[in-house]
Amino acid sequence: MGIQLSDIEQAARNCLIQAGTTFRKDQVQAYRRAIAAERNPNPGWVLSHILQNADIAAEKHLPLCDDTGIPHVIVGLGEDCDLPRGWLAAVERGVAQGLLDMPGRPMAVKGNARERVEQSAGLYEDASKLSLAPVIVQQRSGRNLTLSVLLLGGGPEIRAKTRRIFHRRSMDHVLEEAASWITEEIHSLGCTPIVVAMGVGRSQVEASALMLEAMNTGNLDEQNEFERKVTEIINQTKVGPLGLGGSVTALGTFLKIGPTRASGVRVVSVRPCCCVEPRRATIVIQ
Amino acid sequence: MIRLDTPIGVRAVRGLKAGDQVEIYGRILCGRDAVLPRLAEMVSEGRQGDLPVELAGSVIFHTAVSPAGIGPTTSNKVEIEESIPELARAGVRIHLGKGALGRKAIRALDRYHSVFAVTPPVSALFSHRTLEKRVVAFQKEGMEALFEILVDGLPAIIAVANGTNVFDPKK
Repeated sequence: MGIQLSDIEQAARNCLIQAGTTFRKDQVQAYRRAIAAERNPNPGWVLSHILQNADIAAEKHLPLCDDTGIPHVIVGLGEDCDLPRGWLAAVERGVAQGLLDMPGRPMAVKGNARERVEQSAGLYEDASKLSLAPVIVQQRSGRNLTLSVLLLGGGPEIRAKTRRIFHRRSMDHVLEEAASWITEEIHSLGCTPIVVAMGVGRSQVEASALMLEAMNTGNLDEQNEFERKVTEIINQTKVGPLGLGGSVTALGTFLKIGPTRASGVRVVSVRPCCCVEPRRATIVIQ
Repeated sequence: MIRLDTPIGVRAVRGLKAGDQVEIYGRILCGRDAVLPRLAEMVSEGRQGDLPVELAGSVIFHTAVSPAGIGPTTSNKVEIEESIPELARAGVRIHLGKGALGRKAIRALDRYHSVFAVTPPVSALFSHRTLEKRVVAFQKEGMEALFEILVDGLPAIIAVANGTNVFDPKK
């Protein structure tokens, strides 16, 4: 018997809840390292409360943050995977059920185009009315279906940026300019320490997709030289947890570099993921 | 750790400085982008008496209230920050959110014996310490309506108070 619609629906639901209520091991470890390194009492107080919050969220199955985020789904589709008809609708149903069960924040806006932009017709009380962002499908080998759910909060979206950088044939230049977009904004964010998510691609859409992929696969315990460089630049700001100063403004960086075009331009997407992000979970259905 | 019980008097506020760790007990108000400008408008028109709650001595937490809990939104969003001077004039003693504020809002805080406090988005912890919640105005706004909640030790750090500013220690 192959993959059933009910398997997909259940996996999407469970993924969403896990993403919204649980810190990963590498996040916990990163916070423990930050607490050990922090000498100032107030930044240390913030870091300890964030870790305490994660413990309560895991124990009582509560959302880590009340901004439970906009659900983004990445599907890894095995070349030989035999999917039932209606599988994408099953993903949507699973995400909707997850939003009801977690529970998610009811923040879908009612109305026509003008009313939605102006938020003049009120909000839906039903958390499951929050529609999915466009789904990304990636080709994989094998027969499995891999479902990843990421929850993207609103604060980082105010500060994120996707734009071209004239690379001048220098990786350092690209990283430094992209990091400067964050250092300009980090004072106003509030929800520090951050994890920087960065995608480098050929178009605005591709760079954004790579940034999301970086959020999905990055690991705070395994940082390469480019990721460490960006993190160091952010930490030199001394903004610290909650903007209170201190040595830890960024816990790390998740960088994904895609194909590039023959040009003097690279398109870079950068997002300062807040102190509970990236909120993500992945389930493989065999 | 300084304990603050609502309603909060001017005397308690005068004793606060940037960097103080506090815990808030009692009934506090919750509102953000959708309702704070309307609340400020009511104050400027002298209509705050129409509200079923007192602004004098109050704490306003810049947050939505939903089944997912509560948690600070960014206080320097235009509609929130611009509401702070009028609400401080009306007697709101603590504006609770996150992010640095601009000069105009800070001047108003000092003038009207009001302070700005910040707290991390620790919603599971907040849910654990929230005992009651109810809508008090602007119900149509859903999670962005004006809520009153009863809290038992809401943790925060004073960010701007009485001429001190944790985001700019030189001032």
